[in-house]
Amino acid sequence: MAQFIQFALTRAGMAIVTLLMVSLIVFSLMEMVPGNCAERYLAFKNTQGSQITVADIEAEEKRLGLDRPFLVRWGSWVGNVFFKGDFGDSCILRLNINQLLGDKFLLSLGICLTSLLFAYLIAIPVGIISAASKSAWLNGSLRFISYLGLAMPNFLLALMIMLFSTVMFGDSMTGLFSKEYRDAEWSFDRVKDFLSHAWLPVFILGWSATAFALQTVRALMLDETGKLYITAAKARGLFGRKLLWRYPARHALGPIINSLGFDLNRVFNELPIVAVILTLTEAGALLLESLARSNDQQLAGAIIFLLTASIVTLNFVTDIALAIIDPRVRKSVMGG
Amino acid sequence: MLAFWGKKQDKAVDQKSKEAYFTASQSQLIWTRFKSNKTAMFAAYVLMFLVLIGLFAPFLSPYDPTIAGRDPDYQNGAPQIPKFCDENGCSVRPFLYTLERSRSIETNFRWVTTENREKRRHLQLFVEGWEYKLFGMKFNTHLFGADEGGIHIFGTDAAGKDIFSRTLHAINTSLAVGTLGVFISFVLALIIGGVSGYFGGVFDGVMQMITDAVRTVPSIPLFMALAAFVPDTWSAEMRFFFISIILGLIGWPTLARRVRTHLLVERNQDYVLAAQLSGASSSHVIRKHLLPSFTSYIIVDLVISFPYMVLSETALSFIGLGLKDPVNSLGVMLQNVTSADVLLNYQWYFIPVIFFITLVLAFVFVGDGLRDAADPYGGHK
Repeated sequence: MAQFIQFALTRAGMAIVTLLMVSLIVFSLMEMVPGNCAERYLAFKNTQGSQITVADIEAEEKRLGLDRPFLVRWGSWVGNVFFKGDFGDSCILRLNINQLLGDKFLLSLGICLTSLLFAYLIAIPVGIISAASKSAWLNGSLRFISYLGLAMPNFLLALMIMLFSTVMFGDSMTGLFSKEYRDAEWSFDRVKDFLSHAWLPVFILGWSATAFALQTVRALMLDETGKLYITAAKARGLFGRKLLWRYPARHALGPIINSLGFDLNRVFNELPIVAVILTLTEAGALLLESLARSNDQQLAGAIIFLLTASIVTLNFVTDIALAIIDPRVRKSVMGG
Repeated sequence: MLAFWGKKQDKAVDQKSKEAYFTASQSQLIWTRFKSNKTAMFAAYVLMFLVLIGLFAPFLSPYDPTIAGRDPDYQNGAPQIPKFCDENGCSVRPFLYTLERSRSIETNFRWVTTENREKRRHLQLFVEGWEYKLFGMKFNTHLFGADEGGIHIFGTDAAGKDIFSRTLHAINTSLAVGTLGVFISFVLALIIGGVSGYFGGVFDGVMQMITDAVRTVPSIPLFMALAAFVPDTWSAEMRFFFISIILGLIGWPTLARRVRTHLLVERNQDYVLAAQLSGASSSHVIRKHLLPSFTSYIIVDLVISFPYMVLSETALSFIGLGLKDPVNSLGVMLQNVTSADVLLNYQWYFIPVIFFITLVLAFVFVGDGLRDAADPYGGHK
């Protein structure tokens, strides 16, 4: 038990270091954008008719604390994020970012995680069947379908489904909520409405994730089925499904759990594109908007940081889960 | 006697092939295994075809893909497929019909295009057209064209630009962006992975943490953040280079990890120790001994990472943060199909999508075949 706690603590420490590093990367990126918050705010004022001088900009910079050195500003940003969970104000919209993001981020995360779950629910059984079967035809077509998932642009699939539903049902199925629930409080009806809309992005995001997951599962199973312990198990009279589930599937599970974090990363990559097509109103769309239209570096940085933080968290959780199901993992990290 | 002779010859051939097998270099082995994989070979041919199309795009395309080459009389025009036969008889040379534009009181004074099936226009080879540069020389000969007027085998877009020409040039651009991106990430990966794998220890640990941190940041959102820096005033070429550099900067961690793993295995081999004992410097050992030991694997990795570069480029351009419309890249072409209008009325806009899917699929299958071929344990299965 003590060993396990020590393992968990080491992992948590490593996750926090990674997060700090990521925050530094994101923060430097935000700094690289030409112009800063003060200039942007005053430029806005300028369009409203008031005269702006250099002194005004400097005063504004002082007010926002932008005259401090880079590392100090990074420290205070990170401190606010870690201890208060506060990302500061958006430059352009002049609103607190937490308020702006609201539950949008959680919605996106939920959609992404669900599509990941969906992907593995399909990929694990299909991957195992494909690895176990000797049929070249089945394997070839499965491989083709899963690569098609990679090569076929997501948006094309989304467009097709939208068009189909518009023609067939007269509903374009865009957005995450119907009109009457968009700004409503969370209630049972709103949840129902959300679910009736959310399946489409989940399906589209899951489509390409499934392709990757299928590849991983199949490759891992193939690696395992070639090993000697399988031959030994066969010699003892095990065969068929029992053999597959008992030995190789269990061994393949570890690397699959390990790769979940990177799968989530991949789903996040698809999110903005799907958000554009389906006119979703969640974090992916907000990120796109903050970047494409207004160069709002504060908001963009916050969203990228949150996305990365959820990947790091997932990696941490999967590490712990692995250590629980596989004692070898615990030992290897302890230097045993 | 004859049978014995045959057996002996068989043995000789067997001996020879065995000898060839044992003396073959790594790349020869990989190539032999790759050739026996039919799917991968087919994909390789397709890929080669597409790359050649991309390289010779200006020669193959009858029109300038920019606004200069537009056909003002044929906007949003359907593909014109050359025919050999119709109700007026057959012809050896493929032909098109003449399009006539007219307006009168009957058409409510709107321009209406009609097809005159009596007037045939024949297809011609090696016609003179717009001037282009290939390998530093100027040409103006194109593979095909039609006499008197246009030939748009993939149709035209809203500005009257020839989609066939645009597609060919788009393949060229996307491949170029991918190549540049892969090259940059490759150099970075070699340096970072090489140094970290060779020295190992604490340095390696720190480098690995940094690499992992970069790897956890989702790349497309990060791309978007970087691409948003590009001022609108930048020219198409500047944008192009910037996007390639970004692709390269983000793509290195995976490759660097592979390089490091290879090096960690190789650096404990005896020949490295021998070189070090003979007084070779670190950089000499890395360059002369370690890198050649896995060059073939690195090439495989490069091919595998290529389609992801192309995909990232398309994703970026698709969102509108990458290359933009006057440039012909596959991402730009894909972005053009996203309106419902196109989906319902101008389906030929989708032809570039087919090329895109084929390109990515070909790359993935070739990469897969190479990976299987490079895996020393793959042959026994």
